[in-house]
Amino acid sequence: MVKFLSEEWITYGKNFILEKLDPEKDLKNITTSLLCVIENVPSNETTMNLYLEFQQGKLTDIIVNTGDTFTEKEAVFVITGLYGTYKDIIKGGMSLAMALLRNRLKLKGSKMEALRIIKPIDVVIDSLRKITDEFEE
Amino acid sequence: MANNKVITLKKTGLEDAVAIARKGTHCGMCRIDFLGTGLCPSGKKHGYLAYWPQGRMELVKHLNEGRIKPTEKLLEIANSCTLCGICDKQCNFTTQLRPEKVAKALKEYVKNLDKSEFQNVPEDDILRGLREIVGDEWATNDPNIIVSYTMSIIPPDSELKYYITMPESTEQVSKIIKFANKHNIPFLARSGGTTCSVTASYVLVKAFSLDHGIVIDLLRLKKLEIHPESSTATVGAGITTFELQKAAYTHKLRALAAEAGAHYCSNIATTGIISTWGNNYGSFADNFVDVTQVDEKGIITKHSDIGILNPYSAETGFANVTMTPSKIITEAIVKLHPIFDDEVAVFVPFTHLKDALSMLLKLGKRDVGLSLAVLSAKYLAEFLSPTFQISRDFEYICKNYMKLNWVVSVIGTKDDIKIVEEMAEYTMDQSLLKSLILGAPRFSALKDSEFLRILSEEDDPLKALFSGPMRKHLEKSLDPSPEQVAKVYDTDLQDFFKKVYSKPEMTDVVWLHAFRILPTRMLRQRMFSGPGGSIWSGDMDHILKWIQMFADVGDKYQLEHSLGFITPLDHGNFVYMEYDYFFDHNDPELGHKISKTFIETMEQSYVMGKVITLLDYLFKGMYRKEHVLYPIPEGISKDDQVVFRQLLESVLGGEETW
Repeated sequence: MVKFLSEEWITYGKNFILEKLDPEKDLKNITTSLLCVIENVPSNETTMNLYLEFQQGKLTDIIVNTGDTFTEKEAVFVITGLYGTYKDIIKGGMSLAMALLRNRLKLKGSKMEALRIIKPIDVVIDSLRKITDEFEE
Repeated sequence: MANNKVITLKKTGLEDAVAIARKGTHCGMCRIDFLGTGLCPSGKKHGYLAYWPQGRMELVKHLNEGRIKPTEKLLEIANSCTLCGICDKQCNFTTQLRPEKVAKALKEYVKNLDKSEFQNVPEDDILRGLREIVGDEWATNDPNIIVSYTMSIIPPDSELKYYITMPESTEQVSKIIKFANKHNIPFLARSGGTTCSVTASYVLVKAFSLDHGIVIDLLRLKKLEIHPESSTATVGAGITTFELQKAAYTHKLRALAAEAGAHYCSNIATTGIISTWGNNYGSFADNFVDVTQVDEKGIITKHSDIGILNPYSAETGFANVTMTPSKIITEAIVKLHPIFDDEVAVFVPFTHLKDALSMLLKLGKRDVGLSLAVLSAKYLAEFLSPTFQISRDFEYICKNYMKLNWVVSVIGTKDDIKIVEEMAEYTMDQSLLKSLILGAPRFSALKDSEFLRILSEEDDPLKALFSGPMRKHLEKSLDPSPEQVAKVYDTDLQDFFKKVYSKPEMTDVVWLHAFRILPTRMLRQRMFSGPGGSIWSGDMDHILKWIQMFADVGDKYQLEHSLGFITPLDHGNFVYMEYDYFFDHNDPELGHKISKTFIETMEQSYVMGKVITLLDYLFKGMYRKEHVLYPIPEGISKDDQVVFRQLLESVLGGEETW
């Protein structure tokens, strides 16, 4: 188990998704990219960015950095929310869809298209849950 | 949270109080002065739900279950009740409950408590921060107060990790939100809380309620100003529909009114004001001139601000379903409408829904009438009857002897009513309706009478009754009077109810429609779920097929169910329909069935098309009706149906939990 958004987390997460998730069965061969903007990260209230890219159900890129802008890649979907919300999602207290429907996450991009990939993304989140148990307080 | 050391109410021999408490439905009528009794002094002073009869009942329920341990605050909650009896009068009118017995039991219970066993509730940093914003009195983490919000914003099985705060201004709401965000704590605003109450005992509670965090109770935002010169009112988020209507009426103006106990601002934010006056007065953003709102970052804006993003457009279809309002409305400037001197109410009775609907659409499309609706016999019976049993018999008589299954209810000027009377062969006028209100007990007692047997043998009982000499016989046999109605109440309340029913407004159908104090009788010691939505009015067969779908789903899950009301919208281009499923909110098995009916009927509505479902309505009240209702949606594809199911599963959990 590793700390959410740490270097080790990126490595573990990437390996877990690549090794354990089936591109067709689990990830439905999705081709998309998702930028999670994580605001108010303790303890100094910074903003962190988590970028995930999939090609035909295979994770092809994962980037984590800090900063108010993310210029490395352009994502199909940008989801913005508080660290506490992401923590709830990763810990399983709330699904990503629920956070979107309850306005705890803001989506930039087509909501209908985002809903179409909700199932594979839930699978990715389930995977990340298995490797993460440490959060900033 | 259960604790073995808790002395349960059962052990003190107060099971009666718990039995009453369990039947409470959070209708919130104890928080408005609808009978001229004044308000609960304890609730008025302390504000938190635990100090109102509604919350005190919830508190007693959870004390009994051992979910919470007594704290010092419990003494204050119990002893703040003066046993003035106001709650008994109010609650008895709508639900026949006696909440004062619960308050008495709680007083007895706290007398026997060992104070050394009280749970200590220390102030933590979060509470300290909230108190700095709203003052010491108006923020708490006391479980005895928190638990009273169960079934109205807190799910029944939560761990009570909450703070309750009661700001008194928009600025304080903003500061609370900024504070919550800084500490990564979720928050949710609460007003009347009835939406959460209705969903609380079934799966949708997961979607609507707060699992932990800060509850922002908006009751203290009590600003209310009527501006007769512009026919508008400034309404704070703590003002109920009843309070607004009462103030507006003193200026011969009327607000578009939904539930009497609903807070007006939150009603706008939740679904918009869904009301039988909507065809004439408007819907969604038609109802306000401006709103002051606080967004999820705590930023205060008004719709009138130059430079804000367009707040009025909404996506269509289930992609735009939301489970919380995008912003908290703290104040609204709402439109008021003139009251005409010649307003009259008339009901047109029907046997067949198609005929009633056809008349409703004709009237709606021509903008005839101020308030228009098809009401089911069930609604008529529930609203007019002082007790549950009388409503049962009332409905039975309507359906089985009179073939009166529906009425088209019209409120309008004399010119409007003239048109209605020309269209209808016979009507029920204000005089007859008054007789039915004051004679409801006698009417229900006619159940096995010779009079009704003879009437039922007529080819057209409605015609025989309402356009022939039998009407006189009926009115005479009802012997309508305030004394007659008062007799059905408990002996000690009969004098009070005699006076209540002697007030002209209590039999004035126009007043009753405008103040909406009777529909709460639907929550008589049980809950209902009322899915539905708006449907394009251009295809009568499609509308009837849609309504039949709701009935079929009700039959499938063996629930008591009935169409509630249908009302035209947007000059009759749409009709809004509410279909009700009734259930005991203490029965988890029924809760699951209600979940299934809700989800199934919403899914089928999307598949059928031409429907804007209740799900689409949720939290769209601030948008323009043109963006919510149009373009008229086509039925969704099989692929999108799969996506809808996946969305539900992701939000609510697997189907087995529904």
